[in-house]
Amino acid sequence: MYLLRSLVRLAFAASTVATVFAAQATFDTAVKPILANTCAGCHNDRLASGGLNLKPFQAPDSLTNRDQWEDILTKLRGGEMPPKGIPRPPQADIDNLIGYVQGEFEKADRAIKPDPGRVVARRLNRNEYTNTIRDLLGVTFRADKDFPTDDSSYGFDNIGEALTVSPILIEKYLSAAEKIASAAIGADPMPKPLTWEGRRSDRAIRRVKLSTSETTHRLDLGAEYIIRVVFTGNPAKTDAAPTMGLWVDGNLLASKPFTLPAAAPAGGEHTEEVRIYVEAGDHVFRAGLIGDNAPVPPPGGGGGAPPDPKAIKPWVPDSISIDGPYAAKVERASRKRVLICDPNSGSACVDRILTQLARRAFRRSPTKTEVAGLTHFYQMARQHGQNADQGIQLALQAALVSPEFLFRMEREPTNGSIHRITDFDLASRLSYFLWSSMPDDRLLTLAESGKLHAPDTLDAEVTRMLADTKSSALAENFAGQWLEMRNLDVVHPDPVKFPKYSPDLRDAFKTETRLFFEYVLRENRPIGDFIDARYTFANELLAQHYGIPDVKGSDFRKVELTGDQRGGILSQGTVLTVSSYPTRTSVVLRGKYVLENILGTPPPPPPPDVPALDEAAVGTSASLRQQMEAHRASPICASCHSKMDVLGFGLENYDAIGAWRTADGKFPVDATGTLPNGKSFATPAEFRRLLLANLPEFEHCLTQKMLTYALGRGLGPQDRVTVSEIDHKVIQSDYRFQALIREVVRSMPFQMQHGEIISKSDQTRPKEVASK
Amino acid sequence: MTITNKALARRTFLRGVGTAIGLPFLDAMVPALSYGKTVETPVRMAFVYVPIGAIMDHWNPSYTGNLAELPRILKPMEPFKKDMLLLGNLTHNGGRALLDGGGDHARATGGYLSGVQPKKIAEDSSYGDRNGHSVAAIKAGITADQIVANEIGGKTRFASLEVGMEDAQQAGNCDSGYSCSYTNNLAWKSESQPLPPTLDPRALFERLFGDDGDLSPQARERRNLYRRSILDYVTEDSKKLETRLGPSDRSKLDQYMTSVREVEIRIQQNEKDNRQIDPGMEKPGGTPGDFAEHFKLQSDMITIAFQADLTRTVTFLVGREGSNRPYREIGVPEGHHNLTHHRNNPEMIEKVAQINCYHMRTFAAWMEKMKAHQEGDRTLLDNSMIVYGSGIADGNRHTHEDLPTMVLGSGGGFLKSGRRLVYRRETPICNLYLTMMEGMGVHKEHFGDATGHLQGLTA
Repeated sequence: MYLLRSLVRLAFAASTVATVFAAQATFDTAVKPILANTCAGCHNDRLASGGLNLKPFQAPDSLTNRDQWEDILTKLRGGEMPPKGIPRPPQADIDNLIGYVQGEFEKADRAIKPDPGRVVARRLNRNEYTNTIRDLLGVTFRADKDFPTDDSSYGFDNIGEALTVSPILIEKYLSAAEKIASAAIGADPMPKPLTWEGRRSDRAIRRVKLSTSETTHRLDLGAEYIIRVVFTGNPAKTDAAPTMGLWVDGNLLASKPFTLPAAAPAGGEHTEEVRIYVEAGDHVFRAGLIGDNAPVPPPGGGGGAPPDPKAIKPWVPDSISIDGPYAAKVERASRKRVLICDPNSGSACVDRILTQLARRAFRRSPTKTEVAGLTHFYQMARQHGQNADQGIQLALQAALVSPEFLFRMEREPTNGSIHRITDFDLASRLSYFLWSSMPDDRLLTLAESGKLHAPDTLDAEVTRMLADTKSSALAENFAGQWLEMRNLDVVHPDPVKFPKYSPDLRDAFKTETRLFFEYVLRENRPIGDFIDARYTFANELLAQHYGIPDVKGSDFRKVELTGDQRGGILSQGTVLTVSSYPTRTSVVLRGKYVLENILGTPPPPPPPDVPALDEAAVGTSASLRQQMEAHRASPICASCHSKMDVLGFGLENYDAIGAWRTADGKFPVDATGTLPNGKSFATPAEFRRLLLANLPEFEHCLTQKMLTYALGRGLGPQDRVTVSEIDHKVIQSDYRFQALIREVVRSMPFQMQHGEIISKSDQTRPKEVASK
Repeated sequence: MTITNKALARRTFLRGVGTAIGLPFLDAMVPALSYGKTVETPVRMAFVYVPIGAIMDHWNPSYTGNLAELPRILKPMEPFKKDMLLLGNLTHNGGRALLDGGGDHARATGGYLSGVQPKKIAEDSSYGDRNGHSVAAIKAGITADQIVANEIGGKTRFASLEVGMEDAQQAGNCDSGYSCSYTNNLAWKSESQPLPPTLDPRALFERLFGDDGDLSPQARERRNLYRRSILDYVTEDSKKLETRLGPSDRSKLDQYMTSVREVEIRIQQNEKDNRQIDPGMEKPGGTPGDFAEHFKLQSDMITIAFQADLTRTVTFLVGREGSNRPYREIGVPEGHHNLTHHRNNPEMIEKVAQINCYHMRTFAAWMEKMKAHQEGDRTLLDNSMIVYGSGIADGNRHTHEDLPTMVLGSGGGFLKSGRRLVYRRETPICNLYLTMMEGMGVHKEHFGDATGHLQGLTA
């Protein structure tokens, strides 16, 4: 029983019940009788059912085998063992066993010397690199489009151990630094402008609405471009001239009323142009009429008379051309951010610029030598006949390839002691945790004055940082991986079976989950909202998909949920789609998803050679339920699937792209289930309520994930105490989400580090490496 | 291919001629390709990894000896019967659980070219071992291609080339508690340093053929000078930095420093070998959604890289192990991995077989191009050794013995092609690699779990 486990854990954290059990029970009275009388019939050295022989577990010293014992406890708590057909000892005896073993574990954990563990030097991952460049220079650079994939471990891509460096990455860093520095300072002469034109007749632009078309185009340089749109049409006479809108990547960047000549013929051809600044990279350019919401008409009625030239036809973009690059007319903010004075004014200014640059790029006060290192590049450019701006640009380029920029390597004493990390390192840990980006000036200033680690200051900073829009990074990167939201980009629901699935719907799923997560975060809602909430976020497209009435337009808004079909993340399209196969749902995948991401008890992989479930036949030759029952007849399968599949059944009312359904193929959906502990549900709403009753279990799971993400390393046995302390405090704070984040920041492993001995002999090694 | 030392000529050419020059045109250029005065045609090596094995009933013929009738999956290879070796009973023992539990997909690729069992991420690696020393969380082994690249890579612009096709899963666990490093990468430079493949054809194009066509020679020279100076500077910086780092942080910085060093060498190499290579193909616009189209772009560029002697060692990860990619273009909308757990359901087996055949057809189309290119009295294919295979045999049961393995090309007459050879059961696949290294002129006594050379393979 999950609830019991949590209660027990809570009780022990409060250190009350523990002593009660300890005083009354011993291994021989609490554990051994059940193992010997109930379990040994199957789990003995002859049968070893399910691969488990409990003979070695009948002695107290077996408690050191923590992992196996935790598995045993999980089975007992969940009521999965003993299985049906085996005489059950009284529940009180089982509880007593669990309580005793749990108590021994708590005792053992308290005896472990507190140890913050060690976070290895972390390279900036692609998201962190992108955000850091944005905050350092105000330049948009999509590292995810340019750098190789970051390997993830423990479910996240910010784990120090897995963030390796390869020659190709260094090549990418070198060329990215050139592009970024050039975009930031803009000291290079502009190449000759070129014109690219996309015509409807060449299918180079796509019509997306009645009077709106778009095209994808890549720009090599961030600069100003003239976007020219040729409309054709024969519109009805209206009072007001239409207004052209230009969107880049979905953002309206310019709007301009048609300047139609006074004595205009009603129709024909009309050209409008705007000049705008666009960053380098792939962009979707969309041009059309503001307020255009009409769909594209189906292709013409086929054959017959030629169209009447006088017929009323709406304005339709006929071509979109992009002409550039041109130098920006106004000074870019990114330039001002670096050039705080005029470098032509002399070396004092150059020194000021580079000192500030190094402080922000290296996220701490730079040394004189470090600034001199960058100044060297300034001088080198000057010696090659380049101007002062180009000199700064080269120095910036060098800084962006430096290990001090690319890695977060914390300063530490040489004696291998457990120590508090420096305030600068703390500032970086904070900002990369909450923002996936570099510390801002305020954090750096607090670190410089050594005030950051003071508990009140730190608390206030967390509050400030969460209120900042940059904390959306937690939704993108933490939730994106915890809830597997990012996998929406790699799953491909079958367009034949799910014709309603589209890039727009996929994006709507993402937006819903992101907005929902951010709401729980910013409004400091209880984490139970993730499991069930009476609200979500939707636009018309998504609301239609969910069957929610009265939501109009493409803007997302908070929507109150009145029915009981939806509520919480497990009823959101994101989760339901990433936990399905391309052609159908899978109770196994969904059950596994709930176990891994909600309950924190991932199932072991199936043993090889098991006769697995024929899920593919579901909906055609047999109902899912029949299939599952047959499958679970095998005790080996049942040991995991009795729980996993039931959890998946709780979500069977949603199809593989999250739409509500009452039938699957020719069989009605049966979304009832009974958990091994005897609790049952008949609808997804009841299922959610059962999960809510297990809130401590979910909280524990979320704490582990959050701590892993915050530290950038996997958790180990020494972290158990930290995790249960955080659990305890979050529960005391009514499960508020921000309490979890705050407690992670307050925790020992976040603020401290287990040092490594830095020996003299080690110090000679780099030379060997270098000379190799 | 047009080879010229003038930077501008190439751009003009590329822009002026919209149509690509066909590959067969290229062989006239061979003499210009070698640095030395005497022309010795190099031998090339590639490893092409396909995910989740194959339906082995449609892969293994019932005979040994000279290749005759080919089973269903291998049918597209009919024109290459004389160019290939079909090898039976090779094993990747490191792919097996060996007490480490689930994770066959991660182990299949993670140790395929090194013969080691990749390390499952340790729960307590953050605390070090019993003596307080740090423990690596990721550990596989140096791969066969990198052993070769270390020895002969200095002769070409790129010591080795890593190419891939399928983007990594973006979130969640990759396989049963293994780091995603093992499924995302095929080549490993050291036991802790995987080499990520380039997936985007456009990025591969720019890497191979340069993205600096618009620079004047002076600007290019200055850029190289700056790049070298920056690399010098960060190397100096790293040396200073290292003195204050503990062993685990230092190992990270070591990866950085060795990578910097390699790029420095590459820049020097580029200055010595300043040929401008016109690949005779348009720069790809991005990643096509269609498998065959994507494969064609990647393999065309590998072919050109071989022809122009830009590299002699390639790893090509066609799909991530355990990939759930659907293949709608051939009428298979279900995910690949999902289907491989077919539990002897004939419909599912059929669909997996169709995927296997589709991969093979695409591969055969590439081999055709390799064979169409003449190098002296041999073809480019003759002068290569291209392994096509997987670290899993039966995807349903996750077996790692009798792997589907074939070698195309004879390595310049080194291998005796055209045969089916079946070895003693449990013969390590590393034995094959050891022999291939020999064919590349790299003599090693031991490699991975090899027990010796693969007998009877060579001419």
